[in-house]
Amino acid sequence: MKKFIQSPLYIVAFLSVLFFSSCSKDAVEPDASLDYIQLASGFATGTSTHVELYATDSAFTGYNKLYVLLKDSATGKPVDKAVVTLNPMMDMTTMSHAAPKENPVSTTAVNHFFPCSVSFIMPSTAGKWTLGIQIQNLENGKSGTVNFTINVKAPASDKIFSFKSLSDNTTTYFVGLVEPSKPIVGINDLELVIYKKQSMMMFPADSSLSVIMTPEMPTMNHGSPNNVDPVHTINGHYKGKVNFTMTGFWRLNLKLKSGSTVVDSTHYIDITF
Amino acid sequence: MKQLILTAALVHLLVLAQAQAKPTKSQAADSIPEVQLAEVKVYGLTKNTHQQLLHYYTANQAATTEDILARLPELNMIRRSSYGMEPIIRTYSSGQSGLLIDGMRIHGACTDKMDPASIYVEPQNLQSVQIQTGNGFQSGSVIGGTVNMKLAEAQFDESRMWSGSVSSGFQSAANAWYETGKLNYSGNRLAVMTNISWRKAGNYRSGGGAVIPYSQYEKLNYGITALYKLNEKWTTKADLLLDDGWNIGYPALPMDVGYAGARIAALSWRNNSRMGNWQQTEFKLYANSIRHFMDDSHRINIPMHMDMPGESRTYGGYASSKLMLNRSTQLDVKADWASTFLKASMTMYQQGQLPMYMLTWPDNNTLQSGLGAIFSKRIDSASLVNISARADVFSKSLTTQMGKDQLSVLNNPVSNIIKVLKNIAVEYSYRFNEQLKLKTVLSYSERMPTSSELYGFYLFNAFDGYDYIGNTLLKPENAWKAEANISGRSGVFQYGLTGYLSRINQYIMGIYQPGLSTMTIGANGVKQHVNLPYALIAGAEASLIVQPDHSLWFINTTRYSYGEDHLKQALPMIPPVRNISSLRKMIGSCAMQAELELATAQNRVSSKAMERKTSAYAIAHLRLMFTGSLAGNPLRIDGGVENLFDQAYREHLDWGGIRRPGRNVYLQFTYQF
Repeated sequence: MKKFIQSPLYIVAFLSVLFFSSCSKDAVEPDASLDYIQLASGFATGTSTHVELYATDSAFTGYNKLYVLLKDSATGKPVDKAVVTLNPMMDMTTMSHAAPKENPVSTTAVNHFFPCSVSFIMPSTAGKWTLGIQIQNLENGKSGTVNFTINVKAPASDKIFSFKSLSDNTTTYFVGLVEPSKPIVGINDLELVIYKKQSMMMFPADSSLSVIMTPEMPTMNHGSPNNVDPVHTINGHYKGKVNFTMTGFWRLNLKLKSGSTVVDSTHYIDITF
Repeated sequence: MKQLILTAALVHLLVLAQAQAKPTKSQAADSIPEVQLAEVKVYGLTKNTHQQLLHYYTANQAATTEDILARLPELNMIRRSSYGMEPIIRTYSSGQSGLLIDGMRIHGACTDKMDPASIYVEPQNLQSVQIQTGNGFQSGSVIGGTVNMKLAEAQFDESRMWSGSVSSGFQSAANAWYETGKLNYSGNRLAVMTNISWRKAGNYRSGGGAVIPYSQYEKLNYGITALYKLNEKWTTKADLLLDDGWNIGYPALPMDVGYAGARIAALSWRNNSRMGNWQQTEFKLYANSIRHFMDDSHRINIPMHMDMPGESRTYGGYASSKLMLNRSTQLDVKADWASTFLKASMTMYQQGQLPMYMLTWPDNNTLQSGLGAIFSKRIDSASLVNISARADVFSKSLTTQMGKDQLSVLNNPVSNIIKVLKNIAVEYSYRFNEQLKLKTVLSYSERMPTSSELYGFYLFNAFDGYDYIGNTLLKPENAWKAEANISGRSGVFQYGLTGYLSRINQYIMGIYQPGLSTMTIGANGVKQHVNLPYALIAGAEASLIVQPDHSLWFINTTRYSYGEDHLKQALPMIPPVRNISSLRKMIGSCAMQAELELATAQNRVSSKAMERKTSAYAIAHLRLMFTGSLAGNPLRIDGGVENLFDQAYREHLDWGGIRRPGRNVYLQFTYQF
């Protein structure tokens, strides 16, 4: 609680908790080193379960790590066994579409939280984002859904981009930045996530591409040594290393290849710290 | 004995001024050569002519410390500006040699070596310069040698409780003012000396008339030193030396210095007794802190404004003593320890963006503990053997996680580096007769890589235009070295001739890394410090002093250096042959001095270091000194013209092709009381 007052982030967190007028500070956080804020909360109809949605930042265009906390509405105790399914939906009045997502990999909560992710592919200025969270509470056997309206902000620089493959000129891919979320001067874990757009509603993870990443400081016109290109690990996640030699504005230039064919080389992700 | 030298050295400084008033002191000065021989026994190949040269050149009251050091044959000066020239021994780099003030280690706070420790000593603070070359590791594991600038001390003077001097002068080439003041209190057991000097120089005019922009500087140097006699044997000494510099231009570098400050303090105890087995025991504790702020706000057409502050903090101490084993055998021992913290950073500003911040010296600490001994044995009346040995334990560490994180991008280990360094030298000297003495030294020595060489992070070197990065995998350099010296005197002639040759293994040098991208806008590339198989450094120095009588002196010094790497390519920063002649004639209370500096061209340059060739030059100086009397006290007037013929020239070790000052008329008044 002492730290609570010290950090402006906590104040933001506190204000957003007030805003959503549902307080649950007693919850155990999945990673004590990070500052969590509650994005939304509400009852999933017919499940006797209160659903709380957390993140380390307010929702933004890009890969959002989310944490779902379920509580028994009668006792207030955390529900640690559940099937949680995410259903993000963008309503643009004339049309609607979903977004890439990662449901919790396990039906058992980690430290009471169900980690998951949504990659919002546009900000809320384009329409209305709804995140449907379908709950199958394995402790009481009830199922139901809660829908949260999520205000997705556009970050100062894009953390996700899409491109049409140069090889067939039709397939659309989304590439999102997962890490570094807290960049340092030094060696940073680099993690990208790549999804293929199968339809307006289907964005499966893609493991078929290879990535060449070249960091640079556009204002200084220099790069950094000893970077490691990200390679696919699991579920569309590509991991490598990016080295920053100073703080400031960095650009990660990305070249994506399918086999030996370059499918995109025009995009980049900017990181400023 | 040492005390006697120190006193004698000071006396010599005053010789000209007081030659007539106090002839007895002038006679004391004549005894110096004999006294210095004793010093030579201890410190190796310091030539007996050396202190004489120093005293000769310090006689010019308008000279800066750099002017004086530049005239000593063993020293070369790397020049990036009219201020802050970096003294190096022969052609060994500053990392290969030691530069101490009164035995204290002081590490500059500038990643670009703008602030060698010598800038903190003004001529009026300087008592003597000890240069150790052949077996010079009594003060540290070094392969080039050690320069120790001894600070002036408060004087006990039974005849006067208060004494001092004030001095004021002007130099035309840079419209420079030089003002000093000194006050000495002498009590029964306590003596205190305080001094202050202020220099302010504008942009200087080079030979031919062109004004060199960004060559201005202003500095204030002030300090207080006290001696207190605890009892018959023991004296305690306290020193506080402060130095502040502002708006110091570095024409050969892309940045200047906004402010640089040094705070140097020491406390020592010494036993002056020459009785018993243990003699001249000294204990010293010291601390110093240097802060340095580079500044580019006065430069035009810079691509990006940046701040580059640096700081250095050192704590240390030593204990030294002489153990007299018998009449012909003695053992000098010294144990010393120092801990140096360094940090430097760079912040770049681009409008509309977050500042770009990085550590140029990631926070690091060097802990060094050493033990050295010199065993001296007089075999017979003609021959003497010295065996000196030293071991040092170095522990270098990065002290912050940020520093480790940042340096880890170079893919080298960031854990502590611990090395044990070993040195040994054997010196044999033989005196054939008064006309001919021979000294030979064979030595093996090691030196630790510097913090810049280990941890430097994209340090831009304006000399070759490359960014330099450190390498924590560097091995210490080691050197095998041979040095021989003959010296002697015959009638009015006194001469010395020294030759040296060294092979430096694991020679540390920056090598171009084509795969790395530069940090500095416009840099030629990135070089990383690596160990090369070996390099050879050789050279010779000669000096001749002719002194037919007390009114006439002729001094001539010549030096030559040679260096090549393992590919037989020239090493950079090797000066050509240089000769300095000086003739001083005293007529009554006046002295006239004519000097001639000659240097051959240097066409053997290092292409890898983008080194430029340097033309030969000859310049002449004319100096006049007059000692009068004002209200019964000596008034001294120094005047003269340097670079009399306004030659446009530069020396080979000058960075950036910047020409040296042209004709400079100077006048300095010194009043002693």
